[in-house]
Amino acid sequence: MRSLLLAVLAAYLIAAIHSILAFVNKRRAVQRVAEWSMAVGFVLHTVALIADWVIDGHYPLFFLRETLSFLAWALVAVYALVLVRYRAQALGAFTMPLISILTFVALLDPGTKNSPAPFSATWLFPVHTTLLIFAYAAFFVVFVASIMYLLQERELKLKTFSAIFHRLPPLSTVNELATSAAALGLTLLTIGIATGMVWSSSRDGKIWHNDPKEIFAVLTWILYFSLILYRSTSNWRGRNAAWLGVLGFALVLCTFFGTRLLGGYHVFG
Amino acid sequence: MSIVLVGINHRTAPVEVRELLAFNDEACADGLRRLVDGEVLQEGLIVSTCNRVEILSATASDKLEFSTHLLAQFLDHQRRLPADFLKTHSYQHIDEQAVRHLFRVASSLDSMVVGEPQVLGQVRHAYAIAVEAGTAGRVLNRLIHHTFRVAKRVRSETGIAANAVSISYMAVELGKKIFESLKGRTVMLIGAGEMAELSARHLVNAGASRVIITNRTETAAQELADEFGGETVPFSDFPKFLGDADVVICSTGAESFVVTEKMTREALDTRRNKPTCLIDISVPRNIEPSTGKLPNVFLFDIDDLESVISSNIREREREAERAELIVQSEVMQFQQSLRLMDAGPTIGALRQKLQDMARTELQRQRKRLGQLSPDQEAAIEQLLISTVNKISHPVLDQMRRFYESSEPEEITPSADPLSGDEI
Repeated sequence: MRSLLLAVLAAYLIAAIHSILAFVNKRRAVQRVAEWSMAVGFVLHTVALIADWVIDGHYPLFFLRETLSFLAWALVAVYALVLVRYRAQALGAFTMPLISILTFVALLDPGTKNSPAPFSATWLFPVHTTLLIFAYAAFFVVFVASIMYLLQERELKLKTFSAIFHRLPPLSTVNELATSAAALGLTLLTIGIATGMVWSSSRDGKIWHNDPKEIFAVLTWILYFSLILYRSTSNWRGRNAAWLGVLGFALVLCTFFGTRLLGGYHVFG
Repeated sequence: MSIVLVGINHRTAPVEVRELLAFNDEACADGLRRLVDGEVLQEGLIVSTCNRVEILSATASDKLEFSTHLLAQFLDHQRRLPADFLKTHSYQHIDEQAVRHLFRVASSLDSMVVGEPQVLGQVRHAYAIAVEAGTAGRVLNRLIHHTFRVAKRVRSETGIAANAVSISYMAVELGKKIFESLKGRTVMLIGAGEMAELSARHLVNAGASRVIITNRTETAAQELADEFGGETVPFSDFPKFLGDADVVICSTGAESFVVTEKMTREALDTRRNKPTCLIDISVPRNIEPSTGKLPNVFLFDIDDLESVISSNIREREREAERAELIVQSEVMQFQQSLRLMDAGPTIGALRQKLQDMARTELQRQRKRLGQLSPDQEAAIEQLLISTVNKISHPVLDQMRRFYESSEPEEITPSADPLSGDEI
C-alpha cells in the first residue's frame, strides 16, 4: 500500500529529525516527539504490511522493496525494545535516519505487478525470512552500539571531552546493549539458518548449495559466535569486542546483498 | 512606578574596587533607611556579594533620572570616594532592563560561573534585609517573588546547573560516564586529605557502597573510614586491594609514583578486565601516566579534570542561551503585571470618581423626589450606583486592556481623565 507507506515515511522522517535534534540539544520534549512519531509510524507500517500480505496474497518479504520495508519495520521494533530496556535514546539519532532511508528506497522501487505468488504453500518461507530480518536488525543495533562505544571510549582515553562526550550514553550501557543484541541476533540467525536448511531440504533434498548468501550467513554466524564467546571469557571486552561488532555488520551487509551481486541459489525473483 | 538599578559587578570592576563598596548586613540596612526617603525613592534593596554590589529601587516615573543620579551618588558617598569615581565601573538599568538584569543575576546567568547555586540565596538574603529595614514595598515585593520563580524555572527547565564544575564532583561524573551507575561500586582512597574526602562523599551519595581507605598515617585513614562506614588497609598492602576498586582517588603528597603501571596491570587481572577509573588529583602526580594506556583503564590527572570542567562550562553556556529566552518571556510577563498594578488604582480611582459624581447629582436633584423613607433613600442610592457601575464597566474594562497592552510612556496615570486634561 504505497499511500500508507508514504504516511509511514513521513512519520519516520519526523522521528528521525527529532531524534537528531534531541541528540544535539538534549531536550526531553523533542525526544518525546520523536518517540511518538515513531510509534505512529510503526502502527501504520504494521497495517501496511498486513494489507500487502492480504492484497498481494503472499508474505511481504520477497521482492526488494518488500524486504527493505520489512527491514525498516523490524529495525523500529528492535529500537523500541532498546529504548524500553536501556533508555539509550542516542541510538535514535543513528537508527531513525537509516530507517527513513530504507522506507524511502522501498517506496522508490515500482515492483512487479503480475508476479507469481511465490512459496505460498509453505510456512517455512515466512519464518525463515522473518527470523533473518530480525537477526539483521539486532546486528545493526550491535553495530551502532559498538560505534558509540568506540567513540565514547576514545573521548575518555584521549581526554578530549567534546560535545559528543556529553551526548553519548555511558560505556557500560552500550557495552551491555551490544552484548545482548549480539546474543539475540545470533539466536535468531541460528534458527533462521536452520529453517532455511529444512526448507531447502524439502525442496531439493540438499541443505547446502555453496550459494554466496549461505556462505556469508555462515561466516556471519561464526563471527558473532566468536564475539559472544570472546565476551564471555572475561568481565569486559570493550574495544576489541566493539571492533568485532563493526566488522560483523560488514558481513551482515554481504549476506543481505550477496545474492543480488553474486547470483546463486537464493535467486528466486 | 519605575524601577532603577545601579551597580558594579565582577565584569565592570576589579576586586580592589568591589571591596571598597562591599556592604555588610548592617551597612545595607542603614544605607537603605537613609536612601529610601519616600520622596524620591519609594522602595529599595541592596545586593552585596563578592562579585557584585547593586542597588535596586522603585521610584515615581517622573523622578527617574533624578533617582538614577541619586543612587550613583550614594555609592560614591558610601565609601567617601571622589565623585564619579565609579562612573567607569558602574552600570545603570531602568524598568525593563533593570528587571531583566535582576532576573539574569538571580538565575546565575550573570555569575562568574553560569549555573552556580549561591546567588539566589544571596538575593533572598538581600530581600530579607530590605524587608526588615522597611524599604521593600509593593513593587519590590512583586518583583522579588517573580524573580524567585524565574530562577527556579531556569534551573529546572534548562541544564545550566546540570554538569559539575567542581573537581571533587568529577569522580562521580566520570564514573557515571564509564559505569552508568555508581550503586554498589567500590571506591578506593589513596591518601586521606580534604579533596579525597569531598570526592568520596559525592561518590557515596551517588551510591558507592564500599569505601577502602589507605594512608601513610593510619589515624587519618581511620577517621575517614568512620565517616563513610568504610574500611582501612595498611599503606603497604593497598596494591592487593587495588583490583577491588572501580574508582580510585589518589591524593597523597608523595613525590614519586605511588601507583605504578605494573601494579595496575596486576590489579586488572583480578578484575578480569572490568573498567577502572583512576583519578589522580595530586601534584606531583602519584599515578604513573603510562597506566592510562592499559586497556579499560581510564586515568585522569588534575589537568584532565580541568578540561572536563571547561567542557562542562561550555555546555552550560549553551544551556544559558535557552535560559535567556525564558528570562525574556518572564520579563515581559512581569512588565504586564506591573502595568496592571499601576492601572489598578487609577481605574479604581476613576470608578470612585464616577460614583461620587452620581451621588453629587442625586443630592442636587433630591428635592424633586419629595419625602422618602430611609429604605427608599437607600434603594435609590443603590440603584444609582449600580447603574453607574454597569454603564462605566465596559469603558473601564477597555481602559484596563489598553493599560495591559501599551507602553508605559503612553499612559500618564497622574493625569485626571475626567478633569478635561489630555490623557
